[in-house]
Amino acid sequence: MPSPPNEMRYQTLHTRRRFLRTSVLGAAASWTLPVFLEKTFFALDAMAADSLVQTPTGKDGTILVVLQMAGGNDGLNMVVPFADDTYHRARPKLALPVNKILRLNSYAGLNPKLTNLKSLFDEGHLAIIQGVGYPNPNRSHFRATEIWQTASDADQTEREGWLGRYFDNCCAGADPTVGVAIGSEMPQSFTARTPTGIVLSRPDQYRFNTSDQSGPRMSEEEMFYRQLTQPSDASIAAPEGGSIGAIAGTTESDLSPADFLQRTALDAQISSDKILEIERKSKASVPYPKGQLANSLNLIARMIGGGLTTRVYYASQGGFDTHAGQMNAHNLLMTELNDGLAAFVADLKLQGNFERVLLLTFSEFGRRVEENANGGTDHGAAAPMFVLGGGVKPGLFGKYPSLTDLDNGDLKFNTDFRRVYGTVLDDWLRAPSESVLGRKFARLPIV
Amino acid sequence: MLTPLPVQKWSFENAAHLLNRAGFGGTPDEIETLHQLDPEAAVEGLLHPPNAPEELGESRSWTEPENLRSQLLKLGQLKGNPAEMRKTLDAMEIAQRDEMIDLRNWWLGRMRSTPAPLVEKMTLFWHGHFATGAPKVRNAYWMWRQNETFRRYGLGNFKTLLRKISRDPAMMIYLDVAQSRKEHPNENWARELMELFTLGIGHYSEEDIRESARAFTGYRINLTNQQFRFEPGQEDTGWKKFLGHRGNFSGDDILDLIVEQPACPEWISRKLCRFFVADEPSPSIVDAVANSLQQENFEIRPVLQELFRSAEFYSDRVVRMQIKSPVQFLIQSCRLLETTLPPRAIAQTALQRMGQFIFAPPNVKGWDGGKSWISTSSLFFRDNFANYLIAGTAGHPNAPAALRRTPVDLARIIPAELRDKPGELIAHLARRLFQTQPNENQTQIFLAYLQRRAPDRGDETMRRLLHLMMSTPQYQLT
Repeated sequence: MPSPPNEMRYQTLHTRRRFLRTSVLGAAASWTLPVFLEKTFFALDAMAADSLVQTPTGKDGTILVVLQMAGGNDGLNMVVPFADDTYHRARPKLALPVNKILRLNSYAGLNPKLTNLKSLFDEGHLAIIQGVGYPNPNRSHFRATEIWQTASDADQTEREGWLGRYFDNCCAGADPTVGVAIGSEMPQSFTARTPTGIVLSRPDQYRFNTSDQSGPRMSEEEMFYRQLTQPSDASIAAPEGGSIGAIAGTTESDLSPADFLQRTALDAQISSDKILEIERKSKASVPYPKGQLANSLNLIARMIGGGLTTRVYYASQGGFDTHAGQMNAHNLLMTELNDGLAAFVADLKLQGNFERVLLLTFSEFGRRVEENANGGTDHGAAAPMFVLGGGVKPGLFGKYPSLTDLDNGDLKFNTDFRRVYGTVLDDWLRAPSESVLGRKFARLPIV
Repeated sequence: MLTPLPVQKWSFENAAHLLNRAGFGGTPDEIETLHQLDPEAAVEGLLHPPNAPEELGESRSWTEPENLRSQLLKLGQLKGNPAEMRKTLDAMEIAQRDEMIDLRNWWLGRMRSTPAPLVEKMTLFWHGHFATGAPKVRNAYWMWRQNETFRRYGLGNFKTLLRKISRDPAMMIYLDVAQSRKEHPNENWARELMELFTLGIGHYSEEDIRESARAFTGYRINLTNQQFRFEPGQEDTGWKKFLGHRGNFSGDDILDLIVEQPACPEWISRKLCRFFVADEPSPSIVDAVANSLQQENFEIRPVLQELFRSAEFYSDRVVRMQIKSPVQFLIQSCRLLETTLPPRAIAQTALQRMGQFIFAPPNVKGWDGGKSWISTSSLFFRDNFANYLIAGTAGHPNAPAALRRTPVDLARIIPAELRDKPGELIAHLARRLFQTQPNENQTQIFLAYLQRRAPDRGDETMRRLLHLMMSTPQYQLT
């Protein structure tokens, strides 16, 4: 097998914008700027002039981490109303022992496994919002998840996610890595008019893989692959009359499918390089526990520490659909969450990035007050949201929902989740929440 | 009006385009065979395939309806024994999941091997149009029945198909018709029927939704045999106002009134054109197809006949301008490489990763398609997946049995004598993979690669060349 030649080096193009600039303004471009890049460049400039565009984070802007607790987290055993008789009566098996609860006030406290989150609360870095939900709650996993991901009303169906609308409204022209989701599928919250953001579970999969992939050095194939995806003057058998504008029915700002593919391929290369470089350079400064959540948070911390200009990260912890045998399962999840977040926070503090990061948790619904006959609980409604970070205004917000005045056996919400999203958009990401969410939601003093 | 393509323009490339859009592509031989026919005969052959959709060869668990009522009763008897009930429920869950995997595998196999590609392509179209998700329906028999309905009636009369779907158990469950009560009718089906399946927003009112929902009360599913039935006691037979008409309309009456609206052929035409022609089809094509639908009283075959024969269908703005859907990418790649589908675990995970998990559209709107298939991640995935399709797991001796795949048989696609003729080799492969020639720039890069590998002309080099060619942006287009 021939070894890769010495002269092989791959260019790391930092941002598409800088790349465009150097091509247009800079030195001897060996090829003329192809039509689609030129149009993109000018379109970007035009858009930047008169819209809500935000500059990419750079190394110092604020970062949002969204953590999904998938399956329907039992809020009642996470923020526990230990002083309430109804809690103990409704859950003879599942009620947590009063003396073990980590008290937040005289009524409620945290699950005993959440020791580090309790410390964070005491140190002033955790806001707990109680009774979060929305009108006409849906108890189907996929429909409820969709509602949380799209921030729609219960009787509307939206395709685009709330973060996708944020990307569309506020991040046009930003790097493809403006949103990074850890996992195997793009979360619906990222769905945008212009496909934005990347999803990866492992950096080594987020690249062009060939049969003889051995370590980080580029293989021969990859070198030629990159040449193929460099913009060229013409695509295969380019139709006469060009592409943009000549096609009836397409708007001028739309790229033709071929040009769009070319641009995406270029974006993919740029972001892949960055991520691989970061993965090589950056090592975890604190030990992380085992498990998929900790791995995800570790990867995110690496990318933050490595200076990726990402504004929104997304991770997911699964397993919350505890219809049976909840005691052990939920406690394990709480431990995983606690320990993973503890490492993440410690890591960020050592990096000096803790002030820049805000992490929020959400789940598609809480669970019912009464336990069921299988030592578990069924799908419910309102539940707490956690918001933590160096820039958070701490405390308990909202009201603990009444355990007796219920909605079909479920907790009634008193804080609409869009208020939390809106607050994060306005006060943390400095993006106009009304444009992103479609209307104004009253802020919460958590940032 | 659409104008027919002049016979002298009937080229290899146009025949390839027809096969790509009306099916899942074809090998150079298959394209050539089609090209030998005149355009009319070529299209006719696709619309009236020699082998009508046949019944399932061997029987599968999901082709037989079950007595769900007795299953539920048995389950109910376990109420006093939660552990046993849990075990039974878990086993049912696993069985359902396995059946769906098997059903999905069966359909993919049909798409791969069918002698009637347009039938399967239309089935896929209707599946995206009348979107129904298995995670809510939770029964492979019902999902299969719906799929068969699309297959049998998809090229026939749209009005017939619409009526069948209104009584399709999978759809009834998905859009909550099966529980709609006279006292408080469920509006989910009524709304999506008009918003997504027939008219589009702006051509009906909220009152129309409420009134028509009343007409679909009494639609039930018989759980002893999984078939549709009427529950007359639940039917609201009262007077209704709908789209400007008044009467004690039944569900069927509502459907009749809907298809009379001019907005209906326009809506269906737009969906057809977006699927078969372009992401944003020209208004003139959409109008022409809508007119055609109206003239032909919603018979799909003659409408497609006219479309597939038209010069507009073969225009520069259409040919090779559509991004392959994940299903198209998978099926067409296997056809072009003359290789089998990957093992089901791989094929189905790949569809999930690429964003088109058949039988489980993201919601009732189906799949957006077009550019939404492509992101930086999905492009990497497609490129890497192509490598797996070509090379299999030859380089991974420890691959588990369920995932193993032999490499592509190069003898089928690369004539031995071309291995030493780089220019001709590239042209030969381009004809197969792109159904046209690459531009000068790309050809140079492919040649440079072969040069770099010289004098090695072995299988490994050939496979890597294939991989490079299938990793171009152009390969994503059809």
